[in-house]
Amino acid sequence: MGMLSYYFRKSLTVCKDEVLVLPSRVAVGVFVVTILVLPLFSQSPYLLRILILSSIFAIFAASWDLLSGFTGQMNFGHALFFGVGAYSAALLNIHGHLPPWASIPLGALGAVLTGLIVGIPCLRLRGTYLALTTLAFPVILLGIIFAVPDITGGELGLSGLSRLTGSRLWDYYLTSVIMLVSCAVMWKITDSNTGIIFHAIREDELAVRASGINTIRYKLLAFSLGGFFAGISGGLYAHFMRIAGPSTLEVSMSFTVVIWAVFGGIVTIYGPVGAVFILFPLLEFLRFWPEYRTLAFALVILLILLYMPEGLFPYLRDKLETQCPRCKIRNVAKRKTCRICAAPLN
Amino acid sequence: MPTDFLTVEGLSKDFGGLRAIGNVSFSMGRNEVIGLIGPNGAGKTTLLRLITGILKPDSGTIRFKNTDIAGKKTWDIVGMGIACTFQNMRPFRRLPIIANVMVSCLSPRAMKRGEWVKKVEAKAMDALEFAGISDMALEKASTLSQGDLKRLEVARAIATEPELLLLDEPFGGLSPAETELMAKSIKRLHKGGRFGRLHSEGPAMIIVEHKLQQLMKIVTRIIVLDFGTVIADGTPEDVVNDRQVIKAYLGQGGV
Repeated sequence: MGMLSYYFRKSLTVCKDEVLVLPSRVAVGVFVVTILVLPLFSQSPYLLRILILSSIFAIFAASWDLLSGFTGQMNFGHALFFGVGAYSAALLNIHGHLPPWASIPLGALGAVLTGLIVGIPCLRLRGTYLALTTLAFPVILLGIIFAVPDITGGELGLSGLSRLTGSRLWDYYLTSVIMLVSCAVMWKITDSNTGIIFHAIREDELAVRASGINTIRYKLLAFSLGGFFAGISGGLYAHFMRIAGPSTLEVSMSFTVVIWAVFGGIVTIYGPVGAVFILFPLLEFLRFWPEYRTLAFALVILLILLYMPEGLFPYLRDKLETQCPRCKIRNVAKRKTCRICAAPLN
Repeated sequence: MPTDFLTVEGLSKDFGGLRAIGNVSFSMGRNEVIGLIGPNGAGKTTLLRLITGILKPDSGTIRFKNTDIAGKKTWDIVGMGIACTFQNMRPFRRLPIIANVMVSCLSPRAMKRGEWVKKVEAKAMDALEFAGISDMALEKASTLSQGDLKRLEVARAIATEPELLLLDEPFGGLSPAETELMAKSIKRLHKGGRFGRLHSEGPAMIIVEHKLQQLMKIVTRIIVLDFGTVIADGTPEDVVNDRQVIKAYLGQGGV
């Protein structure tokens, strides 16, 4: 009992000293709690469906940020990993009769393999050349899928997959917990020593090599990690929608993920996640005015990019928080002195 | 005379029709500091890039501690103990200065060596302290002045604990006072210090430089390149009086 109260008090202290001091951390905390308690207030299947799809696409958008934002390997064909994840899970489920808990991770491993296959020829390419090459891969896979309709279902795709869980509510909890865990893992990776090397590769690859780092290994690692998380989201999508179709590999899918990431702010992980939770429900909401839907959507994105070129969330963060000029710790904007080193903030 | 440390033999590199390095041979000992000079376009930087594996030679061998390293990957060469700095500094501009050095500290060679109980950050801080910019560790690299960027390059190179350090124009773009300071640091580095445990005697160096006055004070030997070939190799006194060297630098009338 004493132990329990010790940990309780300790977590309260951490909460007070580390979380409540910064608006961005409070916002993340509120987001997590809201996601977890929301079904207590409403269990409308339509709402849950939107949130489930948002969670799935949030993993997808964050995985693009990990590969293209952090490591600078501009990938305009990220739908490839999503599609491979979805199709692998579907094939394993329908032909291999594997349950979702096995087919989704195996599908993600399929996406990792694809990441390596795509990554190896892309190692020599940079910038625009890399972007254009990656754009081609999902289109190639789409061609293969149409070529063997007996296995892949051709244009109709593979349908009739088993459900994720028995009910919509459990689907919701499963996807949102996987989303929260995946994003936390991705954030932790970018915050680690590996993350520093990813950043450095984006800045200047030659200088990283001259520092004694095997850049090939790290770039392939970035492709595999990006592929893994995108594959997980693809598998979840296939099992939730109970279909894996060619739409998962479409060019629009690859570009949507770039729009989400740029809207929310790249090189953040939390930016793309937040962006999906704003833009995906917004697009659903605009369904009420179908003729203006895409136009309004484009307008929102253009306005954000015009006034907040770094993305929505970094902009808000910079408004609410300032960095201490001395110790570089972030503080609430209204503070006069740094909360750690007491240097004046101006 | 070939030595066990670094021996370059018959090294050549062409860029299209241009012969950047033609049949260059030299060798150096473990404790030497060599100055590599020559007019612009003589092939000095190309020679350094061939040794570090950034460029692949067309022919010839580079033996480092009895292993042929010609054409090996840059990171393998750095792993064997050769580090280099870049003439046009290449910092990771959007990263804090300490993170710039941490990348080097995360290389397999640096992870294996040095005081293993120390954290990567502490090791990086040591290198920054040695280079004299530890007070700015948390600033972004883009905020640094030219002189400090040169120091960052040096910090990044020594963080891998090299046995051979290749410095490409360490005084380039520095004020006289900054040059003086940098020259002192380089001397101190060669003498060795508390940085690193295994190479307390300091790395051997090849320094490419145009500021000859400062260079003369540091180096024990000078190699002169012109049009990709070695035209002189000897002590600083011999080289500055060499007729061919004066001709290469000042033209026919200067002799």
